[in-house]
Amino acid sequence: MKPLILGLGNDIISDDAIGLIVARILRDRLGDTVEVKESSESGFALLDVMTGYEKMLIIDSIRTCMHPPGAILDFSADDIGKVAAPSPHYAGLPELISLAKRLDLVFPTEIAILAMEVKDPFTVAEGLSTEVAGALERMVEIAHAKVTPWISG
Amino acid sequence: MANTVINEINNSVVPESKNGRRHIVIDPITRLEGHGKIDIILNQQGNVDRAFFQVPELRGFEKFAEGRRAEDMPQITSRICGVCPTAHHMCATKALDDLYKVDPPPAAKKIREMVYCAFFIEDHALHFYYLGGPDFVVGPTAPKSERNILGVLGKVGLDIGKEVIGLRKQIRDLIALAGGKVIHPVFGLPGGVSKPLTKEDQEQFIAGAKHAVEFGEFSLKIFNDVVLKNKEYLDWIVSDTYTHQTYYMGLVDSQNRVNFYDGMLRVVKPDGKEFVKFKVQDYAKHIGEHVEPWSYIKFCFLKDVGWDGFSEGVDSGIFSVAPLARLNAAEGMATPKAQKAYEEFYKTLDGRPVHHTLANHWARLIELLYAAERMLELANDPDIVSPDIRNIPKETPKQGFGVVEAPRGTLFHHYQTDEKGLISMANLIVATQNNAARIAMSVDKAARGVIKNGKIDDGILNMVEMAFRAYDPCHGCATHSLPGQMPLIVRVLSPHGGLMQEIRRD
Repeated sequence: MKPLILGLGNDIISDDAIGLIVARILRDRLGDTVEVKESSESGFALLDVMTGYEKMLIIDSIRTCMHPPGAILDFSADDIGKVAAPSPHYAGLPELISLAKRLDLVFPTEIAILAMEVKDPFTVAEGLSTEVAGALERMVEIAHAKVTPWISG
Repeated sequence: MANTVINEINNSVVPESKNGRRHIVIDPITRLEGHGKIDIILNQQGNVDRAFFQVPELRGFEKFAEGRRAEDMPQITSRICGVCPTAHHMCATKALDDLYKVDPPPAAKKIREMVYCAFFIEDHALHFYYLGGPDFVVGPTAPKSERNILGVLGKVGLDIGKEVIGLRKQIRDLIALAGGKVIHPVFGLPGGVSKPLTKEDQEQFIAGAKHAVEFGEFSLKIFNDVVLKNKEYLDWIVSDTYTHQTYYMGLVDSQNRVNFYDGMLRVVKPDGKEFVKFKVQDYAKHIGEHVEPWSYIKFCFLKDVGWDGFSEGVDSGIFSVAPLARLNAAEGMATPKAQKAYEEFYKTLDGRPVHHTLANHWARLIELLYAAERMLELANDPDIVSPDIRNIPKETPKQGFGVVEAPRGTLFHHYQTDEKGLISMANLIVATQNNAARIAMSVDKAARGVIKNGKIDDGILNMVEMAFRAYDPCHGCATHSLPGQMPLIVRVLSPHGGLMQEIRRD
């Protein structure tokens, strides 16, 4: 079963697009060794998107205001409930996991989450801030490294 | 904002030493799709001075739209928000029909409405079972750990959980089949749709619609068995705490029946009698926007009645949209099973109109059944597979208006362009904006009703949140004016409106 790379965000809301952009680059680089999906949905609506995979990498933006814009944060599913100010997109993951278990759905058991601290996820506009754009390639490399063992394994 | 699903309510209580007031913030709001904040100001006795519902959100959309091609608006507007993309897509497409003065062929209209009904089914199902349902199916004051979809499944059974997921997947696949994509559909064009339906597509829509009709019927049965047969829940629904006598607005067909896709806007008075019926092109003559210093959202009101503060009754221009309002603004449903459920609704709640906010949950399920029945009617229509799906626009564009009923209420799009079709002005009035004044009143009244003598616990705070959750508000696109920033600000206000404290996150 191919691993899922799920880019979350909105590409007309400034830095909120980062997860989608990274996912698109990985789609080009990794071809059909992975399943790449993009979504601007959140919460329970993501259940449909995530169901049917065993391994999943989520790529998103985050605004904790505790790190400089462009910082890349690496979470596991266990961390999510503990994050002080998570992005709205991937939150709800613990409930999704519980629900999937309860309903015997095929749902990722290995979950990695990469989130970039962003500067402006609030303005309706196209284009990334300088800080976030500058960290894009690094994010792609880290995401690539995350899924490599899943592809070869 | 989904992180609220996993985090404890941040119930911070800030003592105010100067005047003894306490300021409670429920932030972020649990289970709401989008950001939001409630401020509750207590007086010295521990009762509520005033509660404010605030929606700091995305801004700058009109500026973003300027200079873009009008044809791109169905794609652009559907990307504003991940919650109701199909509603924006459809409303923008209709505004383009009007902009280019082109009437789509019957098959195109039917395909659009059928896809739109499918969207209503999946959206209403999501709200009832996942977001709003926990309040009633599990119980308003049940332990927080149980007030979620898992608690709902504990009450109604795991098989129903699988059914909800299965139906939503089937319906979303159908939207993708006709619309290109589920989240951001690409099929609406001025004068029609981008591709015809095949016979095979039609069969799939018929099967999906039949499934949805069964789903709608058993969802109403669950509501009947779990909610209506529980006297305590029914008492809450009809309690004064969750009741407002306001005007109601919704789209109706030529026989004044609920329609989500097209028709005239009908407004009824608090006594249920028709107040006005108008075309979308006249929306600005009838709907005004009121600004308050404590909120970024503009509060819509009826111009012919006037703004009379946050008050109810026939002399206040505040009106409501969304499921309960749509049922109240109409005189019936256009499909037989939904009509029967509509009659049962008003019989149980003592006639039309119903003013109880929490009855929105019931009205939503009646609408779900209507959407399913209407989808089946359209799927069975021989015209739906006609290859004649587009009339080509020939007029020079100048101004276009669009309206649909979004699941959360009436949605308006209004564009002006130059002669090349480039946007010079875009104005959107989204459902939550239409509902904003009544939602603000509902939160305030619920807070006053359930918080007494300083006693506040999680169950009580949840009952305040229930006041707005019934409307299924979404704030992803509710505010959209310059300067293009979405700050998050917590304000502590005195009863006279003076700023006592401000916390900024920008």
